[in-house]
Order: sequence, then structure tokens, then C-alpha cells
Amino acid sequence: MPLAYVAFYVVIIGPVDLWQLLARPRIAELLSNTVTLAIACMAATAALGVSLAVLVERTDLPGRRLWHGLLVAPLAVPAFVNGYAWVSLDRSVHGFSGAFTVVTLSYYPLVYLPVVAMLRRLDPALEESAWSLGHSRARTFRTVVLPQLRPALLGGALLVGLHLLAEFGALSLLRYPTFTTAIYDQYGSTFNGAAATAMAAVLVMLCLVLLLAELRLRGNRRYARLGRGAARSAVPLALGPSRWPLLGVVGAVVALALGVPAYSLVRWLVVGTSTEFPVAELTEALVATVALALAGAVATTLAAIPVVWLAVRHRGWASTVIERSTYIANALPGIVVGLALVVASLRLVPGIYQTAALLVAAYVILFLPRAVVTVRAGLEQAPIVLDDVAHSLGTGPLATARRVTLPLIAPSLGAGAALVFLAISTELTATLMLSPIGTHTLATEFWSASSELRYGAAAPYALLLVLVSIPATVLLMRSDSPATKTERVPV
Amino acid sequence: MSSLTITGVTKSFGSGASATRAVDDVTLHVPHGSFTTVLGPSGCGKTTLLRLIAGFLMPESGTIAFGDTTVAGAGVRTVAPQARRVGYVPQEGALFPHLDVAANIAFGLPRAARGSQEGNDRVVEMLDLVELPTDFRDRRPDELSGGQQQRVALARSLAPQPAVVLLDEPFSSLDASLRGSTSRAVRRALEATNTTALLVTHDQNEALSLADQVAVMRAGRLVQSAPPSEVYLSPTDPQVAEFVGRAVVLPGTATDARATCALGEVVLIEPTNGPVALMIRPEQVFVDLAHDEGVRGTVEEVSYYGHDCAVQVRLDDGTSVLARMAGVRHPGPGDTVHLRVTGLVRAYHPAGTT
Amino acid sequence: MTTSPRRATARASVALAATLLTASTLTGCGVFGSPDLVVYNAQHEELLDEIVPLFEKESGLDVELRSGKDLEMANQIVEEGEDSPADVFLTENSPAMSIVDNAGLFAELPEAATAPIPDEYVPADRMWTGFLARSTVAMYNTETMTDADMPASILDFADPEWKGRVAFSPTGADFQAIVSAVLELEGEQATADWLDGLKDNGVIVQNNLVVMQSVDSGEVDAGIAYHYYWYRDRQENGSDSDSSALHFFGNQDPGAFLSISGAGILDSSEHKDAAEEFVTWLTSTEAQQAMAESYALEYPLNPDASLNAEVKPFDELEPPKVDVSALNGPQVTDLMTAAGLL
Repeated sequence: MPLAYVAFYVVIIGPVDLWQLLARPRIAELLSNTVTLAIACMAATAALGVSLAVLVERTDLPGRRLWHGLLVAPLAVPAFVNGYAWVSLDRSVHGFSGAFTVVTLSYYPLVYLPVVAMLRRLDPALEESAWSLGHSRARTFRTVVLPQLRPALLGGALLVGLHLLAEFGALSLLRYPTFTTAIYDQYGSTFNGAAATAMAAVLVMLCLVLLLAELRLRGNRRYARLGRGAARSAVPLALGPSRWPLLGVVGAVVALALGVPAYSLVRWLVVGTSTEFPVAELTEALVATVALALAGAVATTLAAIPVVWLAVRHRGWASTVIERSTYIANALPGIVVGLALVVASLRLVPGIYQTAALLVAAYVILFLPRAVVTVRAGLEQAPIVLDDVAHSLGTGPLATARRVTLPLIAPSLGAGAALVFLAISTELTATLMLSPIGTHTLATEFWSASSELRYGAAAPYALLLVLVSIPATVLLMRSDSPATKTERVPV
Repeated sequence: MSSLTITGVTKSFGSGASATRAVDDVTLHVPHGSFTTVLGPSGCGKTTLLRLIAGFLMPESGTIAFGDTTVAGAGVRTVAPQARRVGYVPQEGALFPHLDVAANIAFGLPRAARGSQEGNDRVVEMLDLVELPTDFRDRRPDELSGGQQQRVALARSLAPQPAVVLLDEPFSSLDASLRGSTSRAVRRALEATNTTALLVTHDQNEALSLADQVAVMRAGRLVQSAPPSEVYLSPTDPQVAEFVGRAVVLPGTATDARATCALGEVVLIEPTNGPVALMIRPEQVFVDLAHDEGVRGTVEEVSYYGHDCAVQVRLDDGTSVLARMAGVRHPGPGDTVHLRVTGLVRAYHPAGTT
Repeated sequence: MTTSPRRATARASVALAATLLTASTLTGCGVFGSPDLVVYNAQHEELLDEIVPLFEKESGLDVELRSGKDLEMANQIVEEGEDSPADVFLTENSPAMSIVDNAGLFAELPEAATAPIPDEYVPADRMWTGFLARSTVAMYNTETMTDADMPASILDFADPEWKGRVAFSPTGADFQAIVSAVLELEGEQATADWLDGLKDNGVIVQNNLVVMQSVDSGEVDAGIAYHYYWYRDRQENGSDSDSSALHFFGNQDPGAFLSISGAGILDSSEHKDAAEEFVTWLTSTEAQQAMAESYALEYPLNPDASLNAEVKPFDELEPPKVDVSALNGPQVTDLMTAAGLL
């Protein structure tokens, strides 16, 4: 739907005006900023993710289990908290170098995780046959292992790209102007801004490009999957004396990605130049966050059910269209959805502007794909044959749904709701734009504090946000299914 | 329990020029309390037929009746599956994974009965029937073996005392060793409850050993419907003959009750005249190791199965035939043997049918 | 992994209960009993939090404060129109007031409310009144610059000699108010040129606090902001103002622009009496002095109230004469967009 809105509005502006709005040097500047950062970060996270994955999975690096957990942990720190952590410690962290550092450190787990999963699943028999044919270890890695890693690697990198396009908080704090930050600023000045919408259109184009690439990749990935998975694990590479410097490298990554935010948070909590601990506001924000997240989670999960039902049980062009469109929504940044809803509601249904209902609607749009993926996995565990059997035993369609289908998908409904709940709790951009005046969530309170440089006041909110993120990260780590590889991390 | 009567049922899929008739004008009667198997290769339409009877599909023409009640067909309000009182055991058993064995079995019982002592008794009764220990009632489906799951699936379908029970290749997913014991247990359970049953399979051993009546389907049509021995010994045409067992088909010339062929003179089941195709079962080809009477040939290959063996023999005139004999004493490759045919032989006219 | 049906239903019922709780909380909006007055406040929340209790104690009225940002709230009020629950609208800068005024949504203020405020800070139609003011200033780093190095006019910051040396924050309503003053005083072309120059030569940061920090740390030599940031920092611990000082342009230069915080009563309000009481109180000596003594350090417009001596006295400011109701927000945005600042 927001896609439709953007398209509609673009048409209204008219091609001439649209060109004028877009052919500004500012747009070129934003475009170059966004694209260069995206490419640089995708490359860096890919390189970093693969190297770390290989080090942890395929060598005899000491303490591998521990490193694995630590390397994944940065996912629990929302990127904007990470940005805050760096900027609050050292103001010179900003611009391209700052953005590049923080984004890479925040998002490399998105590449690391799938590559690790893939490495675990590889059949060592392939490598062993290559060795028996005389290839060196290094060559084997290049010619046998790396090509098989490619889908996971590319998929992860594309995911990083999508996240980066949608990233607002971190890039704003780091003073690196991209489309998202510019849209937000425009929005802050004028609300029906044609300029904002034009920029949103460009942003959406970029996202779609990445999304199509991801879709194309996933299609191929199905055929790249091999047999039944490794029966035994691969022989680890002995590192020898290079072990210690490599250990140092891994340690350095963890220190930067995890240690810096941790240290920064603790420091600001303790030092905090602003006034006392605002218990009342903290509680109020917490309650509001929980309430919104609950409402959003329930609404999203309920909305997911008919979508999944159609997709799984009644395969046809209509259901494919619906499923694809929810997937496209996956690529829409929070800011675009927020903007679209602001303007759509102002033009069409002014009554709901600035209400919680509109915000919940934004959450549903943003996170429906996440719920759909989880609920779908659940429904596929309830094959139609069970319905047939139930009918033959005398239960009508409604009773069957109640007694057979619902209990079977209940765990995945719960899981989907939980994931959406956690995602909403840490959402920043759409909430900033749509939350009713006077409603503050943890994310918005954090934002108002940190953008006014009240770092001490922002710290408790940041801490709570991280705490809320942890369960979602754990869930993400556990499940290995390809479905979760499309999960997105808070923006 | 009631009988099952299918009359002239047709069902097609697809539309226009590409429409295929999955079930083509099938007429079949399963008497009350008896067990019929529908035998045919994959894609012959047998599963579609089953789903039509269960009510998951609607026939385009023809009628389906349980006893005196017509449940589907022209001019009659189609009865929905949940109202047909039909037991359905699918290929994978399809036990409800979220319920334990007792709850699975009791699923089709009326709500009042489910929690009560009466329901409990019925569950125990069903477990006995399918020869499973009573303490299985608290187990979950993923704790059972394939064969045990199928038995529970059968118990579940029998518990609400259905009119007819339909089984869709229930043993094909089991290990070979389990197949025999499970199928026999199923047979016993159905007999004990005097249930009208229809089982669909592609395995001729299953079809012949379990059923009172075998219905052979091919490309949507019902080709023959008769007791197992009749189907085996008097198949309607050579294709049925070869589907139901190994067959040696030789050209020959018939004169009344006898015919001559490469294996010598044979006695026909029905007198006929003229050129015929003779269908001889390998076990009818007697390998005479003691005497030199009969047609001479050289052994090409011996496949030893322990209890019996299959001997491929090339006759002097070049024809290759298969003979089956007990495994205690058998010839080796290259040996010269003499063959003759025992028992009555079916003859087909070249058009394919008698 | 299959959870038992019991656990699934338990989870479902918890979710249901929570949804009901949520629904009731959200619809109730957390208000126990309805307030006597709803104030849409775009001035700093901390300031209002400090002084509103004083009003509540004196008047016995219950005030609900909803805080947000200038333009956001102005636009919302315009959208809400007749149905707006707002009784009083307070802004940080005046262009936002004009937006609402031009939509015809204000009610004329009573005499008592506008009487204490000098005429130049009250629009002619008396649809709203100024109650606090802030002066535009240039901050400069004392280690590299002196007051004499500062340009004569704020417009000079657009010159190439300032390349990379002056910080400003274009995205806030604060700076946009300054631009609106430049527009009003110098006209469209001059404003466009000035903005182009700033775009080429200035350093963009995200808000005025960062401007101050950048100047203080020496990253830039100078910055454009409002006066109170510096004074507040000096009052706290001075960590961001040790190495900087303020330069007041004076001479009616656009750089001495005094931006007015406005207060107005919505015509659609159902609590006009309470609203009038509030705005009258806001401009009274008592409230004005309370605001002067608060942390905010913005200039009270009631001449009977004054800030402490550390702040440059109001009389010495020499601001340019600007018709407060003529400051145009939307045109400013267009100009800034054209210059590539937005």
C-alpha cells in the first residue's frame, strides 16, 4: 500500500515537477553519499563476515564457542544506539568514516550468521575429494568452499544494504546525510512536502533494486543446496603461530563492536551530566512502548493469518500477489512508510492522523513480512491431509480449524508475535513520525535525549533498548532456517 | 457398516483440450463387510477415485452410494465429507502431531464421549483391535514407528464406526520388513469389525494377499474386478496379466481345448481356435531335472532368492522364458534343462482379449 | 518443537488480556478525569514543566501539557481544525504561529494578556502574543578569534573567506526563523544568495548544541545560534563554552534578529476562560520573572521582568524591526530546498 501511495503521489506531482525536484544537486549529493556508503559497507561486512566465520568455524582458534556468541551479540545493539555510543565518546567520529565504521560494526553479523550456518552445513566430503585430487588447502577453499558460500554471503550483504538504506538514527547522529535523514528533515519542515516524497521515491527505487537482487538470489539458492547435510564436521585448519595475531584480530572486532557500546553505556549511566534518574519518565516510556508493541504484535499476527492461509492453502495468482506485496513491504524503510501514512491520512482520513491506531497500522505494514514468514513455517507443519482426515472423522471446517490447525500453528503464531513485539519495541523512524503528540516510547525518548546531546539522560533508555533486543537476537541465532535469513534488525 | 456402490463415475482435471480424465466411467460394488483393493500403477486414477468416495472431490457424472444412500451424483444433494461417516487412512498415516495416541483415536468420537469413560473404553478397544499395547495411549505420534503410526491411524478411523473405510497406499512408506506384519494386522482388524474397506495400492502382493476382491485400474478405467485368484490366473488382457505378476507370453495356435507353442502342448482354460497369445505363469513352467522329457533349453541366468529361484532359459528355437522353481535343487548357468507347462493356460486372441 | 496446547492457549489468553489493557489505556490516553486546559507546547518542555505548576497552584486549574515541535504542532493544529483539543498553542519561534494564524484558527486575545508586552512583539490583529524572545548570535572560538574578527553582518558568513570555518544547523525551526527574518529584511534574492554561500562555505551540524560544541572544541571558528545555549552552558558547568564567547551583531542587522516565542488561544477552544487566564498569566510580571529565573535564560518580553546580569541586557540588543506576523515559513523552506540545504 505505501508503495501505491508513493507511486500515486509521484504521478500527482507530475513528471516535470518531479524532475525539477530530483535534478537538484542536493539529490545528487545524497545519492552519491548513500550509494558509496552502501557499497563500501556491503563490501566490508562481506569481507569481515566471511573471514570471521571461517576463523570461528574452520580453524582451531581457541575459545571458538565464546567468540561465536560474542561476534553475534552486536545484533542486540540497535544501530542508532551504537552510533550514540561512538559519538558520545568521541565527537570526531562522524561523516563517511564514522558512518562506515559504525554501520560495518553494527551489521557484519548479518553476513556472519548465514555464512556460519552454511559452513556448518557443508559436506566435508567435497573438500576431501578435492584434497585427494591434489589441491592445496587454500586452493580448495577458493574453488570448493567459497562458491558454495556465495549465496549466503551475497544474501547477507544484500540484507546489509537494505538495512543501510533504511537506517536513520545512526546516520543522523553521525552527521552523514543520506536520503533517510534528508527525508526526515524535510518532513520536519513541511508535512506534505513534495520534495520529501520525491526523495522517498528515489529511496524506494534503491531498495527495490536490492530487493530484486535478493529475490533473484534466493531463487537460485534453492538449487545450490546440496544433499542431506554434513554427517560429520570438517577438520579444522591448524593455525600454528598465526593463531595469536588472528586471535587478536577477532578480539579487536569484538572490542569495537561490543566493547565500545558497552563501555559507553556504562560510562554515561554512571557519569551522566544531566539531572537525576528520571524514573517516572522511564516508566511511562516503558509502558507506552510495551502497550504499542503488544497492540502491534497482535494486529500483525492476526493480519498474517489470512495472508499465509491464502498462500499455503489456496495457491493461485491472487495469493502469490499478496505474498509478494508483503515481501516488498519488507524492503520499505520505516521512514517511507511513516511519510506515506502521514500524508495518506492527512489527505484521506484526517481523523486518524496522530492517533495510536495509525502508528499501529505502520507497524503492521513494516513487520507483516516478518510475521508471515514465521506463521507460514508453522502452517506448513499442518498439511492439508490433516484437514482431510479430520473431515473424514466428522469435523466440519470450523471445528477442524479450531481443533487441528490452530493448535498446530499456535507456537509459530506465538513466535511471530514475539518477534514483531521485539521489533516494534526498538523501532525508531516510523515511531518518530507517527506517534501521537505526548506519546513517548523508549526509542523516541532516547532520540530526543541523544539528539540534544544529553547523553547521560539517553543512557538508561539505550540500556533498556538493548535489553529488549536481546531475546530477539537469541531467537535469531537459534533458528537456522532460510526463512529467518530475511529477518530484519531494528532500524 | 454398509456396502459401497460406485456407478459410472467420471472426474476430469484441467479444461478444454488439455483436460484429462483421471477417473473414466468407473463402476464398482464393494459388498458389505468385504475388503476390496484397487490395484494400478501410479497415475492411473486410483487415489482420485478414493478422494471422490471420501467426498474431497465431486464427480462430474455417475453416483456414489453407501448402502441405500446416495451421497454424490446428479440430482442429489452432495453429502459433505464430514457427514459421510467414511474412515480415511492416508499414505503417511497423518496422525495429529499435537495430540497423543488416545486423543488421536478419540478424535472422531462425539464430544461428550471424548472425555468420558465411554470414550476411554473405546480407545482401549481400538488399541486391542490393532494389536497395540494399551500403554501406548499416552505416547505421542513422533514416538511411534511407521507401522505403529499406521495402526493408530486405522484405529482412529474405526473408532467412530464408519460406514466405509478408505486406505490410500497405507503401507508404501513402511520398511519392507514391517509391511507384511502391519498389513496382516490391518486385515485382521477390519475382519474383526466386519468393516467394508477399500484399499488403494500399486503393490500387487498387497492387493492379492489382503483382499476379497481386486479391482485393476489403468488410465482411469476399471479393467477387471474379480477375486484375487481370478485376476491372477484369468486376467482380462495381457497388460493386466503382466501387471499382476510375471508372465511368459508366447504366440501359439489353438485347436479347441489345446494349443501348441514354443514350450510344447498346453491345455487351455477355455476352448478356442486359431492364432492366440498364451499367458503362462513362470511357476507353471516345470523344470524337469530328473528326466529329459519336454522342450530343451539352456539355462542363461539363475536368480536365487533362498526360498525359490527364477531361472531364465533360452530354448533351442531362441525364445527366452522364465521359470520358477523351489530353491532346494536348481540348475546352474549353462546347464541343459527340459521344460514343460503344467496347469491350465489362458489364451488371448491377437486383439488382446478373448 | 511442539508446545503443548495448554501452553499455546495460555499464551493466547495473555496476549488477549494485554490487548484489552492496551486498548483501554490508549483510548483513555492515560488521563484520569479530563483537564481544564490543554496546551500544545512547542517551547522547551523543561521550561513549561517548571512554570505550569505555578499556574496550576494559583488558579486551581488542571493543565495538560502536550509537547512537540514548532512546525509539527502547527501543522497538526491546522489539520485538526475545528476538532482540535488544543486550547492554547505555545511556540518556540513565530513562523509556526503565523501558520496557524493564517489558517484563521486563533481567537483574539483579551487586552489584559497583551497589555504588558511591547507592541512590536504583538501582531497587529492581536491574534497571538510574544512572551519570550531569543537573540540570534554568532559564537566564536576565543583561542583563534577575537570579537573584532567577527563580520559586521551575519550575511557576511556566506563569503568564501569563511569556508569551513562557520557552523550552523539548517534543519531546525530555529535557523529557519532566522532565515525568515533575512527574507523579510533583505528580500528573496539576497536570501537565496546568502543560503547558497552558506551551503558552499558553512559546516552543517544537526542542532544548535552541536554548533556550540563545534565552536568550543575548535572544529570551527564560529557558529550561528541563539544566545541561550551558551549562557545555559555557562550556568551548568561550562564544559562546552570554556573556549568560546558570544558576538552580538546589533545595529539592526539580521544577525541581531530577535525570535519571538508566541502564545495564542484557539478559536475552537471550549475552555476560553481558562485559556485566557493562562495566557494573561503567562505575560504577567510574575510568570515572566519566574521564566527569567529558570534555567531557560531566554528574554522575557514583559519589561518589568529581566534576566540576571550575566546575560547581555535586553535593552542593548539593537534587533532589526521585523513584523512578527509577516515571517513566512513555507517560502523559507522552498528557498532552503532550492539551495540544497534541505
